Amino acid sequence: MRVPFKENFQKLHIRFALLKKFLPVGSLVIATLVYTLPGYAQNIIHVKGRIVNESGQPVSGASIVVKGSGTGVTSQENGSFEIDAAPKEILLVSYVGMITQELKVSASPLSVTLVSQESGLNQVVVVGYGSQKKSDITGSVVTVSSKALQETPTANIINSLKGRAAGVDIVSNSTAPGSSGQIRIRGNRSLVQEIAGNPTATAANNDALNAPLLVVDGIPYGGSVNDLNPDDISGIDILKDASATAIYGSRGSNGVLIITTNRGKSGKAVMSYNGYFGLTNALDEYKGFNGPEYAAFKDEAKAGNSVNPGTSNYGLSADETANLANGVSTDWQKLIYRQGYTTSHGLNLSGGNESTLFSLSGGYFREVGIIPGQDFTRYSLRTTIDHKISRRLKIGLNTMNSLAYTNSGGNPVGGLLRMSPLTLPYNADGSLNLLPLTGLLDAATVNPLTIIKSAGSIVNNNRRLRTFNSLYGEWEIIDGLKYRMNLGLDYRQDQSGSYLGPNTFYNNSTSLAQASESVGNAEAWTYIIENLLTYDKTFKEKHHITFTGLYSVQKDHNQASGIYGTGIPADYIQNYNLSLANTVSANTATTNPWAFSERGLISYMARLNYAYDNRYLLTATVRRDGSSVLSPGNQYFTYPAFAVGWNILNEKFMNNAGLFSALKLRGGWGLTSSQSINPYATLGLLGTNAYNFGPGTAGQNAGYLVQTLANKALKWQSTAQTNIGLDFGILQNRITGSIDVYTQRTNDILLPESLPASNGAGSTIVNAGKTKGHGVEVGISSINVRTPGGFTWSTDLNFSISREEIVALQDPTLKFDLGNGWFVGQPLSVIYDVKKTGIWQTADSAQAASFGQKPGQIRLEDISGPGNDGKPDGKITADDRQIIGNFQPQWEGGLTNRFAYKGFDLSIVMFARMGMKVVVPYLMSDGGAQGYDFFNNGRVNSLKRDYWTPTNPSNKFPRPDAASDGTNYSSTLGYVDGSFIKIRNIILGYNLPSQWLNKAGISSLRIYFSAQNPFILYSPFVKDGYGPDPEGNGYGGVSTSTVGGTPVPGRAITVNLTAPSTRQFNFGVNLKF
Amino acid sequence: MKPKNLTLRIYLVAAVMLASGISGCKKILEEHPRSQITPQFFSTSGGILGGIAGVYSDMRNLWGTEGFTNMCVGGVDEDLVGGSGNPNFFTYKIVNGDIQPLWNIAYQDINTLNGVLEFGEKADIDDATKTQYLAQAKFLRAFYYFYLVQTYGDVPLHLDFITTASTADSRQPIKDVYAQIIKDLTEASADLPAKPAAPFLGKAATQPVAFYLLAKAYLTRGWSSAAESDDFKTAYTIASQIIQDKDNYGLGLWPDFASVNIKANDYGQETLFVIDHSSDTKYGEYTTGQFAAGPKENKTNFFFRPNYPTMNGNYPATGGGSIMTRDINNGRPFIRVRPNGPYLLHQAFADRVNDSRYDNTFQTIWIANTPGASTPRGSLSVGVDTAIWMPDSATAAQAALRVPAFKGAIVPPGPTGSWTPAFYPSLKKYDDSTRASLNDASTRPFVMFRFSDVYLLAAEAYFKAGDNGNAAAMLNVLRQRAAYKATNTPQENADAVIAQTILPSDVTLDFILDEYTRENYGNCQRWWDLVRTQSLIRRVQMYNPEAAANIQPFHVLRPIPQTQIDLVTSGPAFPQNPGY
Repeated sequence: MRVPFKENFQKLHIRFALLKKFLPVGSLVIATLVYTLPGYAQNIIHVKGRIVNESGQPVSGASIVVKGSGTGVTSQENGSFEIDAAPKEILLVSYVGMITQELKVSASPLSVTLVSQESGLNQVVVVGYGSQKKSDITGSVVTVSSKALQETPTANIINSLKGRAAGVDIVSNSTAPGSSGQIRIRGNRSLVQEIAGNPTATAANNDALNAPLLVVDGIPYGGSVNDLNPDDISGIDILKDASATAIYGSRGSNGVLIITTNRGKSGKAVMSYNGYFGLTNALDEYKGFNGPEYAAFKDEAKAGNSVNPGTSNYGLSADETANLANGVSTDWQKLIYRQGYTTSHGLNLSGGNESTLFSLSGGYFREVGIIPGQDFTRYSLRTTIDHKISRRLKIGLNTMNSLAYTNSGGNPVGGLLRMSPLTLPYNADGSLNLLPLTGLLDAATVNPLTIIKSAGSIVNNNRRLRTFNSLYGEWEIIDGLKYRMNLGLDYRQDQSGSYLGPNTFYNNSTSLAQASESVGNAEAWTYIIENLLTYDKTFKEKHHITFTGLYSVQKDHNQASGIYGTGIPADYIQNYNLSLANTVSANTATTNPWAFSERGLISYMARLNYAYDNRYLLTATVRRDGSSVLSPGNQYFTYPAFAVGWNILNEKFMNNAGLFSALKLRGGWGLTSSQSINPYATLGLLGTNAYNFGPGTAGQNAGYLVQTLANKALKWQSTAQTNIGLDFGILQNRITGSIDVYTQRTNDILLPESLPASNGAGSTIVNAGKTKGHGVEVGISSINVRTPGGFTWSTDLNFSISREEIVALQDPTLKFDLGNGWFVGQPLSVIYDVKKTGIWQTADSAQAASFGQKPGQIRLEDISGPGNDGKPDGKITADDRQIIGNFQPQWEGGLTNRFAYKGFDLSIVMFARMGMKVVVPYLMSDGGAQGYDFFNNGRVNSLKRDYWTPTNPSNKFPRPDAASDGTNYSSTLGYVDGSFIKIRNIILGYNLPSQWLNKAGISSLRIYFSAQNPFILYSPFVKDGYGPDPEGNGYGGVSTSTVGGTPVPGRAITVNLTAPSTRQFNFGVNLKF
Repeated sequence: MKPKNLTLRIYLVAAVMLASGISGCKKILEEHPRSQITPQFFSTSGGILGGIAGVYSDMRNLWGTEGFTNMCVGGVDEDLVGGSGNPNFFTYKIVNGDIQPLWNIAYQDINTLNGVLEFGEKADIDDATKTQYLAQAKFLRAFYYFYLVQTYGDVPLHLDFITTASTADSRQPIKDVYAQIIKDLTEASADLPAKPAAPFLGKAATQPVAFYLLAKAYLTRGWSSAAESDDFKTAYTIASQIIQDKDNYGLGLWPDFASVNIKANDYGQETLFVIDHSSDTKYGEYTTGQFAAGPKENKTNFFFRPNYPTMNGNYPATGGGSIMTRDINNGRPFIRVRPNGPYLLHQAFADRVNDSRYDNTFQTIWIANTPGASTPRGSLSVGVDTAIWMPDSATAAQAALRVPAFKGAIVPPGPTGSWTPAFYPSLKKYDDSTRASLNDASTRPFVMFRFSDVYLLAAEAYFKAGDNGNAAAMLNVLRQRAAYKATNTPQENADAVIAQTILPSDVTLDFILDEYTRENYGNCQRWWDLVRTQSLIRRVQMYNPEAAANIQPFHVLRPIPQTQIDLVTSGPAFPQNPGY
């Protein structure tokens, strides 16, 4: 800030009067400010006090100055100070990185809590290949501090980021222990459904194409975020706009998450311990019919049989009839779900002297899921060293190692919901009723309780070892000119295994010859070599130039293998010795783990930052990337970006604008891309299978089929983005924030184009299609209340609106591509199907009959005749399909409120996603592999719902029909409003007074209780009883539409029957020595 | 700092950067796949053989799967929908969603075969091997086009390997498609070996198979709007030639119809062409202990089974507890397809005394397998008592009730001859009791053509050419064979042969179609047989109460899959068949 602090402060005072006049809304905030007029000395008071930071640790070296005089002292190591002042004088307490406070002189001891100036302009922000002061940044960057991340202790940082930054959208895609979410910065850009070369990994690929780049300590980070111990992270900087991300060129278009880890600090070695323990319980069950309701449903299915009315293959068994009479209604889910727990312990030691800094940390994390057999355990160990060899030469190493064990068990939820509530889990003698469905079609189903009783027969585990190392050497060649070499070495290895013994819920065969077992191994490594040259110089005091040049080479390698066996001599052998299996093979009919892929990237980058007089800022970047995955001749692409910034506050004419403590306008344009295709995608692909000519081994042959056509002309897709933003700070940064507006266009999108089947191959990859997006993002932090008594209330609010849209498809004249589910002018994923308008009622039976339907069946909107002529033709056909909705929220936001008083702190984190659809596959059934098998025919139990009967004219769900598993048009039942507002976390902490701790040699101790996902404030999905949580937990499973075609693309997140979301109560400790 | 020193340092840095860069620069952008196979592989001997094996393997995605079985036997005169079946094909209410697999698989395979034919011509392998491989490819291409043209009418006709993606396509007249089928099969039949030879062992395509399909192509074209004058004559000429050369081909009829569909004879003298399956997880693409989860398994052993495990002791009254449990021998009940009782009992299998084929086609007796099971007539001892009996008439049922020793449940046909959606005689030709686990799919090959089909084909061709004498002669071969019962005395068998013999005047189209049912009930051919003979609408209206009300004249062609229409996004729109 150009204006000397004292001077500015007085001007601020004058401004207040004006502000009150003009901004009545703001006056509420202002009224709460602690503010008094300077006074004159009368008699002198000897003031004593102690300064601590937000977490209650003493602040040493803080400056305490009597305002308007030159007198001042600094605080001691334990934070205490003593100063003489007149009664009406004001004390200014300041410390680097903290917000300055004013205090009335008082005779009683003062307790001062300094709050960090996190959002202040002097904050240093990591921007990729360097860092800048926040005031110098021209791009759109959000910083999330470690403190904010720690407010939501979870297995990984992605989960902690939920609702914390505007424009960063995180959606759950699994509920298994240790799972992370799907993260999108400013929406989707790539139109991908499936990628050649890896047709099985649809959703994962889609995620890889739209997920942001992760960079840990400067090195791009691939693979699972679960390998990172959140305790080791000191902050995350999220680069959102192209002017900021263009330096990552071919990987920058989806945004960049720059993760910085803790490093040693000079001074006395500090040891800290962070730990918590929490209990988890299911938010709720998927509610099925109870016993009598189930029987009634079966009866109705019989009555409603559309082929042979009054008949059913799915009547009650003799046992069920008896149990119904005895009032049996077994809740199978309740019998299986257990209380889970999460525990985390981290120990950190850091310190150093002028030449060497170090930090050591060890972590242990364990999450035990609510489904028996599901848990996640991680051990992590980390060391950093930074050493100055000479005045000009520095080297450093960060080595992060983790070992993670994931036990996935199985997913019994769908099976549990299907179980008949009219059956008994135990026999009369207390033993397990092994085959509770005896006498029914599903008689072979084994009791779900075998998941617990026969846990040794169910193995599904993964052991992952990762070592992520970054090594650097930095040489200051002359003052201002530095050469730095970064070496990134990353190795990850996964060993997986499974065993499913007979007589269990997951494998109901009765013989050990039918046991199945497998072992798998996958390894991946990445190396990256970066050469960086930076030059930093200020000319004639006002011209500040920073130049960065880069040349880097990166190579990624992936390799996997696996063996499957059938039959084993004894359960206890599990998958430890596949040589004992009856048969062994290298893949199954559906899984082939054998994979190999490599990709290489060569990059050149140059960036110039120029600042004039701290007022005008310019950033210009150019990057050129060459990638192995594209066709020779099209491998290189150049990415330019420009951005300007204007620190308005530093203009002379703003000298009187005391209201603002920061004000900066910035704008930028840039071009980026994403690594959108898999290696070898340009080469075409033969699918493999196998065949035996005749029964003997002599006729066994490997087989091949043309699956994907080659494309020799593939080139990069690119995204151009324009961003305009305003950063501001008001009232000494009591209120800070930023507003960003952006638009982006993506061209030459790499996408697998589905081909008409008659052309021989399902798809090929083309550069086609254009998408655009725009949005507004607002982030505001404010200190609402701060009283001299030490009470503070602060708020972080973020809000964003993001819109994505397809502009053009593979052929510019094309308005839609039904096979791929793309529509020009619509978001990237939509639901395209016939539209349910209700259920046919008895009174309308004549009209229903004209559509070939009966009362009780699904009523649909007839909008068009043949050729999409737009005229209803009295038939429901493919021409009646329309866009039912999409998955893009109308808005989303997060709100964090923090309260602190004396040693107590309380924070409440909320987030909301509003106005999008969610797809629920277990409400639909196509009689094939998708949806919920036997949804409406009464064979098995299903979600309790309001179905039509002659006496219950519901418009929600059709009449049960024993004749048909594939209920016609049932796909239309599963499109539901997915909006929600949730309390993400409530945390209450207490810093024990230091006088209690000092004797024990403890410098600070905070204990806290937290409640994660305590409740959902608003969700029509939950209210209507569709499930415990509207957030997605997987992909796919959606029925095909009865009129033909797939109504929902496989890339869309869906709500499936997996472990219900949980509520967690934690107790934790933060301890520092 | 001295300028000279500075320059030196900058040079040094530049040198380090270059050194670390140049080393990997070019190489790192080259691609070397190691776990995937690219189309170039077709230019090798292994690639050509692999392409053919790949197509045979892909056929497993159709024959033996539920969706395709529905398409073969749903909505015909023989069958009704089972209690758990999908009524779409069976009732002609909605047929849109399910017709996709045949189209998609056929064209993917045709493109692969086009690749094999194109690269194969130039491949560096010996001529004998090359001839054999290319003949297989031509046979398979014709095979798929034959199914396509019969199912959809005009279809795209691609004969070159497609290497450039296109979103345009158009349909060619059936005349051109038949011409190509006949050309391919003529060439294939010239080059294929008389008997199966390595590497195409088992019952893959051989010369008589190609001849059979060629004769059938002529026969089918003869019925169609693209008919040429000698089609029926050519058809019976080729068929008679196969019969004449049967010893040379190693073909023949089993003397007892009971031997025809048993597992031991799957690769025997009467089998012409099969799609192979095995319990091998790799080459059989088979899963065990996973509820037959593999998409390419032969599950015909599930579909035709009634819901026998839910048969209750007090049947036909409620209560009494179930008297059977699922087991390997009786199979896994999917209850998808049930026989159309009135047609079978009163028409096709009306003579169940002289003709052994009803008894050899259906399982009507279930022996008790559940300890403690009982009916009001007594308790059933496992392995001894009959637990369920499905007699072919109500009279027989009445008679059984008077036998004191008979304690099982009796399920007679209703007044019109129909059984219930859940309980009906079970088709036994697909049974496989050697599976490791109850839920496992069949390990038997799916028999697509039998030698007896040649006689039926010849009969139909002679009949259409106006030669009822030879038509009757062909049918009599099968009918007389069917007269034999191992339990009969020689005299009884001789009498049955006489009773089974027909006269030329007995031969009508409907008689031939009934004969197809007697010989082939449950084969994956019925729908096409009825379409070819222009009898689908008439016979469905005559015999099938579930479909009669819905079937329309346009149903003789299946609709073009909606995805095909949706994905043709350039050039003229891809036309749908009329009526859909």
